[in-house]
Amino acid sequence: MINITNLTKAFGKAQVLKGISTQVDQGEVVALIGPSGSGKSTFLRCLNLLETPTSGTITIDGVELTNPKVDAAQVRLRIGMVFQHFHLFPHMTVLDNITFAPIEVKGLSVEAARAKAHELLARVGLSDKADSYPSRLSGGQKQRVAIARSLAMEPDIMLFDEPTSALDPEMVKEVLNVIRTLADSGMTMLIVTHEMKFAREAADTIYFLDDGKLVERATPEQFFSNPQSERAARFLEQVL
Amino acid sequence: MYTSNYSLHLTIGLYLEVDKYVTVHTHKKEEIMNRNRLQRLYIPLIVFTLLLLSIISITSLAKTDLAHAAKEPTSAVKKLVMGTSPDYPPYESVDAKNNGEIVGLDIDIAKYITSQLGYELEITSMDFSGLIAALQTERVDFVMSGMSVTDERKKSVAFSDSYYTARNTIVSQKKNGFETVEQLSGKLVGTQLGSTQDQFAETIPGAKHKKLNKIADLIQELNSGRIDAAIVEDAVAIEMVLANSDLAMNFIPVVEEANGYAIAFPKQTALVADFNRMLDQMKENGELQNIIDKWFEEKQADTSGQTGFLNIDFRVLDGYVPYILKGVYVTLLFTLVSALLGLFWGTILSLFKISGIRPLQWFATAYTSVFRGTPLLVQLTLIYYAVPQLFNFDIPALLAAGLAFGLNSAAYLSETIRGGIMAVDKGQREASIALGIPYRKMMVRIIFPQALRHILPALVNEFVALLKESSLVSVIGVTELMRRADVVRASTFRSFEALLLVAAIYYVLVLVLTSLARMLERRLRRSD
Repeated sequence: MINITNLTKAFGKAQVLKGISTQVDQGEVVALIGPSGSGKSTFLRCLNLLETPTSGTITIDGVELTNPKVDAAQVRLRIGMVFQHFHLFPHMTVLDNITFAPIEVKGLSVEAARAKAHELLARVGLSDKADSYPSRLSGGQKQRVAIARSLAMEPDIMLFDEPTSALDPEMVKEVLNVIRTLADSGMTMLIVTHEMKFAREAADTIYFLDDGKLVERATPEQFFSNPQSERAARFLEQVL
Repeated sequence: MYTSNYSLHLTIGLYLEVDKYVTVHTHKKEEIMNRNRLQRLYIPLIVFTLLLLSIISITSLAKTDLAHAAKEPTSAVKKLVMGTSPDYPPYESVDAKNNGEIVGLDIDIAKYITSQLGYELEITSMDFSGLIAALQTERVDFVMSGMSVTDERKKSVAFSDSYYTARNTIVSQKKNGFETVEQLSGKLVGTQLGSTQDQFAETIPGAKHKKLNKIADLIQELNSGRIDAAIVEDAVAIEMVLANSDLAMNFIPVVEEANGYAIAFPKQTALVADFNRMLDQMKENGELQNIIDKWFEEKQADTSGQTGFLNIDFRVLDGYVPYILKGVYVTLLFTLVSALLGLFWGTILSLFKISGIRPLQWFATAYTSVFRGTPLLVQLTLIYYAVPQLFNFDIPALLAAGLAFGLNSAAYLSETIRGGIMAVDKGQREASIALGIPYRKMMVRIIFPQALRHILPALVNEFVALLKESSLVSVIGVTELMRRADVVRASTFRSFEALLLVAAIYYVLVLVLTSLARMLERRLRRSD
């Protein structure tokens, strides 16, 4: 579904991604792990062109994103993204946060968008918060709304950029449960995470990135029990 | 992050999306949602509508003003526009108690001559200092404003024969009672800037000289002892002394044939000969003397008590208050127009600045630099006098003022708005982009509402400043609050009362504005 060949990204002189090639299948759940600064987030952000790759190609279902002629907005419609810091629109209610893009971008009718939003809110367990403003929500609730907001655009692929890193520990679980349910539903997902237990349980594939390179690509069982590289072994030693 | 692809769509669009609400939820919810939707529309929509409305009303106001000033609104007759500074009774003043019509000795002469010559007369009011420029730019056909012939002025304009020669008069506090020029040696003498007495005072041996803008200022300086004496002409002195019982006057004998008052024309006009012929005729048939007598005899002594704190007596404003209050409308309209123009244009400039497109950035930066780096008063005067020459469009004073203030305010606001936009978390942009929201929608619906919240206090400051600075536009004759106060000061020959009244009015206006802003802020903070 997603084909990535020799992807590089440099910020000025800093080479953040040093040639990553891989492919992600339909319905595959990928957990990206690795030390901070290894390029996990940058890699993820390249996939919906929040960062413009320096070189290399990304192809989604045959459409080459990295081709300048491709309309980035069209590509983004197929890809949802959830951020570490939620980025809900603070001046809109939860319901408006969720319905804004479907109405304004996809041209959904107001009632259809609202019906969909209520359904999604029920799915993330926040039916009673539809008319609240984001400032009234806890971090975990905000992140669940952010997930619902992304899902409202009915994407084929979901990207999660450290979705639980900004949360208090007691709220991590409620968010991970939502993501896990989503994974079980067959959504193609890439998740940058530091939650090793979650990665092990929910992911189909683990990508271990270090210093801008995809060092290991393995099933959770393989990776966590028998890492192939020395760097991965050292990393696991530190975090487990 | 703004990349050049997006920034071309810089529009603060006019949003008129018609949403059909279907009752899906309870009525209460429905209501809340309706309101939310409305609020999304409100900023761009209201800004645009108000801007349009005010421009329309400003133009029509300007038109009605002109129509009001025109005496015989028949189109067949040729029209002559006369410029005057109606703060110099009995020659010309605003009859504030009576519809604000401009009346006086000069006006009567002008009416007589123009009607005899078969013209329609239209009177335009402006500051005395702007009269010569108005002639040079041919905004007016002639000027009568108690203007005396000087060599200086002759270089720029043509004069008729003189129709009246005034005597110079010394006005001083009664306890000093200066009678002769000799007594003024070593004293500080005040005159009105640009008047004939201005030059006369230079010739007084040993006296120091201070030039002030208005007669009312002279009175105040006399009362407070900052000047020892004022030299004004006879008619003015009479009024000054009548209205201020502490003052005394003494006429100075005419030594040489002083330059009298004359009608000024643009150079090379055929009108001078016609007007001279009519003046001769008026001198012969006694009409001129009739008019002079009429205006110099129409005096009633104001005998009401004038003592008390600072010699303030608000009774002198009796009858003038409605005239002054009408200025509130003009001031508010003007402030609204310039604020909206400033907000609109300032927003566009701020978008230029963050666009990442070099020429647009340079333009916006240069614009801001020029408009912040030159005095507002200069910009105002330039726009008012230069536009007719450059574009052959006789820009109404109120429009010129709104334009100058709006353009100036935009320079300041563009920086404020830019700061507000930059202060919005960049995650908001990323989230919008990730959701596929186009640039324009993102700016209007996501970024601006949040930026507005950040900059609201700064915006209120700017609008309060605009409201107060609007008093500057009195210099080009817009009859807003300050101008009206000046008119009343000139008519009453009293300096404090009208000023205190308009100060109070400005203060109340600012209070109302700030409390409105506080309400708006509370609404915007509702989501906290």
